Amino acid sequence: MTASLLSTLTPLVAQLAPPSIEWSAVAPELLPTAMALVLLLVAIARGRELVVAVPAALVAAAVGIWLISMTVILPGAVVIAVGFALPAAVVAFPRRQSLVQAFSAAAALVGALVLTGWQYVVVLAPTAGGIIPQEALQGALANDGIAFFTRLTVYLSALLVLPIGYGYLQERRINRAEVEPLLLLTVVGMAALGTANDLITLFVALEILSIALYVLSGLARRDRRSQEASLKYFVLGAVASAILLYGMALTFVATGSLDLAGIGGSIGLVTTPRVVAALGLALVTVGIGFKISLAPFHFWTPDVYQGAPTNITAFMAAATKAAGFAAVLRLYLVAFPALESLWVPILAGLAAVTMLYGAIVALVQGDLKRILAYSAITHAGYAVIGVTANSDAGLTSTLWYLLTYAIGTIGAFGCVIALERRRRGEVTLKDLRGLGRTSPLLAGILALSLLSLAGIPATAGFIGKLLVFQAGIAAGLTWLVIIGVLSSVIAAFFYLRIAATMFLEEPDPERGPPVVSTGLSLGVSVAATLVIYLGVYPQPFLQLVETAAALVR
Amino acid sequence: MGIITITLAIPVLGALLLGLYEGDDRSSKIIALIASLATFVASIVLLVQFQVSDANLQLAERLTWIPAIGAEFSLAVDGVSLVLILLTTFLTPLILVASWHSITDRLRGYLAAFLLLETAVIGVFAATDLLLFYFFFEFSLVPMYLIIGIWGGAGRKYAAVKFFLYTLLGGLLMLIAILYLYGQTGTFAYSDMLALSLSVTEQRWLFLAFLVAFAVKVPLFPVHTWLPDAHTEAPTGGSVFLAGVLLKMGTFGLLRYALPFFPDATTEFAPWLLGISVIGILYGAIVALMQGDIKRLIAYSSVSHMGFVVLGTFALTTTATSASVVQMVNHGLSTGALFLLIGFLYERRHTRQIAAFGGLAKQVPVMAGLWLTVSLSSLALPGLNGFVGEFPILLGTFQINRTAGVLATFGAVLAALYLLWAYQRMFHGPLDTADNANTSDLKAREIGVLVPLVVLIVAIGLYPKPLYDLVEPSVDRVLTEVADGADAADGGLATAEEDGS
Repeated sequence: MTASLLSTLTPLVAQLAPPSIEWSAVAPELLPTAMALVLLLVAIARGRELVVAVPAALVAAAVGIWLISMTVILPGAVVIAVGFALPAAVVAFPRRQSLVQAFSAAAALVGALVLTGWQYVVVLAPTAGGIIPQEALQGALANDGIAFFTRLTVYLSALLVLPIGYGYLQERRINRAEVEPLLLLTVVGMAALGTANDLITLFVALEILSIALYVLSGLARRDRRSQEASLKYFVLGAVASAILLYGMALTFVATGSLDLAGIGGSIGLVTTPRVVAALGLALVTVGIGFKISLAPFHFWTPDVYQGAPTNITAFMAAATKAAGFAAVLRLYLVAFPALESLWVPILAGLAAVTMLYGAIVALVQGDLKRILAYSAITHAGYAVIGVTANSDAGLTSTLWYLLTYAIGTIGAFGCVIALERRRRGEVTLKDLRGLGRTSPLLAGILALSLLSLAGIPATAGFIGKLLVFQAGIAAGLTWLVIIGVLSSVIAAFFYLRIAATMFLEEPDPERGPPVVSTGLSLGVSVAATLVIYLGVYPQPFLQLVETAAALVR
Repeated sequence: MGIITITLAIPVLGALLLGLYEGDDRSSKIIALIASLATFVASIVLLVQFQVSDANLQLAERLTWIPAIGAEFSLAVDGVSLVLILLTTFLTPLILVASWHSITDRLRGYLAAFLLLETAVIGVFAATDLLLFYFFFEFSLVPMYLIIGIWGGAGRKYAAVKFFLYTLLGGLLMLIAILYLYGQTGTFAYSDMLALSLSVTEQRWLFLAFLVAFAVKVPLFPVHTWLPDAHTEAPTGGSVFLAGVLLKMGTFGLLRYALPFFPDATTEFAPWLLGISVIGILYGAIVALMQGDIKRLIAYSSVSHMGFVVLGTFALTTTATSASVVQMVNHGLSTGALFLLIGFLYERRHTRQIAAFGGLAKQVPVMAGLWLTVSLSSLALPGLNGFVGEFPILLGTFQINRTAGVLATFGAVLAALYLLWAYQRMFHGPLDTADNANTSDLKAREIGVLVPLVVLIVAIGLYPKPLYDLVEPSVDRVLTEVADGADAADGGLATAEEDGS
């Protein structure tokens, strides 16, 4: 009797049992997520931070010990270390809540980077032969080359931006408690976007990062431009999200599948209504084009980049682009390869317009943040060349380009922050006069970052341009590459104009020296070192990115 | 680590040392001078190790650089690149001594920029990997931009940007061509790309892309317009380096890359290039005649003289093409010396208008004597170095294209006219103004800078054989490659495959 009952119950129980979760697939994201929540709690526990910090550390220690006992040693150690970073920071910096927050967030990001590396070594590429792409959470996540590289870029960007922005936020008195948690959530959203393997996950990840960014860009509540930036970004972003969602819905209608590989499989079938799928593709392109600021969907970019607090701008410019392109790559290369004849020319056209438009409009700007905003638009165009190449080389070149671009951009914006702190307002070309004489190191780092953005040899940007151009030429898109070259020359002109103002003009005695804090100099120095290192000896990282062409398809 | 790498590395290490060590101006200058002299010594060792009779690329060194994309840090020299490397390492210490007192503002940066530039240029001449070549080729823009832009004259900002953008555009078009070739070979190695057999249409486009990059550098008419500005605005040392070495990157590139890579296109376009060169020779000479600023005059004379070099290159005969390599060196020496003299004069008078001078020969006899010698060398007087380069070029051109030869000869005549006329107006006549009467003659340091140049000018003029011996085998090799490649394309696929292997 009991035996028969059991025998009927067993399959039922098996059905009810929760699905097993491959924790390793999301391991790097868990740390920042947990830290974001704990930091919010710490903010609530004003004055009694240890009440939150100590239990959190104990939980982390418990998890870490359990992990180590399961012979997952490195992640266990990382969890314990990050868990204890918070109470340590509370004790070390009493009454300096924002420093505690920044420090703990940085610890979480370092932990996430370490876990990304661990994940690469242990899970993704256990043998030297390159990445073995894996699905996780019933196919909702794809743990592959794109995911790995997106993680690398966004975590690194956030880690660089944190120290650069710390003093700046404090000076503008916008170092509120939600900054670091929101930043961490944004990063998690971006990393999730890099792994999203179905339309729902993709959309949710995009919204996580977008919503957090809407808030972050409006941090400076008293600054009208910041308010405007936030509102504009929010309204236009919501419209873009709606369009994207509509496109996804149409794609689902056409293919009956939400999972990207499934869509890719069924679009080629004769039973699939091609027109509906194409319409879906078009709307998705518009929606995602907004997020990565492709012309003509870029109109929000200059205003938002200018109005948002500069460290947020740096982060948006660097990391949002990397995450957005991860989604772009996955959508076009995994879900829509069958419609290649449709999207390759469209994207190529958009890339051409974007590159030229961004470069030409940047020529007539005077505000440094606006110049860099238009340069960001131009760079989106270059990265699209890699996507339109529709090949492994194109994929890896795009990922690499985004990494080099992120580093150069953060370096440039970091230097802008130092100037902005001096001026307490917008930074125009005039403010740069003679900077090469008054603070040669800062001017040198800014010039180096700009050279990297311009793609001059011995900087990371050169290798980036080299690879996307090569992918474009190999794919037969020589005309697009020639347009890229023309826009490079135009862009070089305004980068040079900035460099010339710094080095070729005499300083203005009325303007004080730029404010360089320890954190800022740390951040921009690391960025500058990476620019040179990746420009002169890119082999180790290039080898890594070469393996990234392995995708979950 | 081989001797080429050492030659390449010494200047950049010197620059690094200057960047890290914040000494006073004097010690910075001494560091820079020692680094440049050590580089010169290293290049002499390179010359000693070089097998003169061997036409191939020698003393090859290979280090892994970016194997992920098939790029190697590989260096080697043939006679042509060796000669140009020697020219570079010879001129750099002279330039540093010449501007010993004239640069006081941000001196460390100035010295470091020159050393970086030296490394970049040696890299261009020695690279046997196209990515490495391109790397150095484009990187050389940055220090030169800074030299013109920071330490230049009144219109320096415009001149520096113009220089940068012109060369960048040309260089990027070449990058596209290099990447196209890379698409077929999968590596950036020179020998692999040389072994490709390309269709005639491909060759035409790729040749044009390379040509644009190098023509801007040379500079060939009509893309020469950056040169007068850059030359006029650059500080003396910058002008000397620009004329002496940087322009040669263009003619060197044509000979090393454009010709042997695209033999059919080369033979097809050669008549056109002869024509363009002749236009450049005459145009540069005529415009030089009309200049009131002596530095601008010499700048335009560079356009004319470099036209001779390209003319000789595309005559595609051993005599003319070897002579054009020799002429690269000659132009570097004599125009470099002229720019130095102009610089010394400018330091004394702060003007470069020919009209402001007159009768200086009585007041500054040493300067006048040197000026005349160098001018005569530049206008190709027999017995001085200009002649042994220019005459065979004209001879070779005359043999293959009579019209071009005759027209180019007029350029040589015009050179005599503008150089001697300028000399006459500046140094002869009455010593009428107080400024002229108070001009002081060259100091020992300045004479010391010029003497090595003049010695070489005379030595090459009297006995050019060692120089020709160095250059000729390598030029022959390139011309054989051009001829074989062109034949192979005519003879069909079978021969092409033989050549390719």
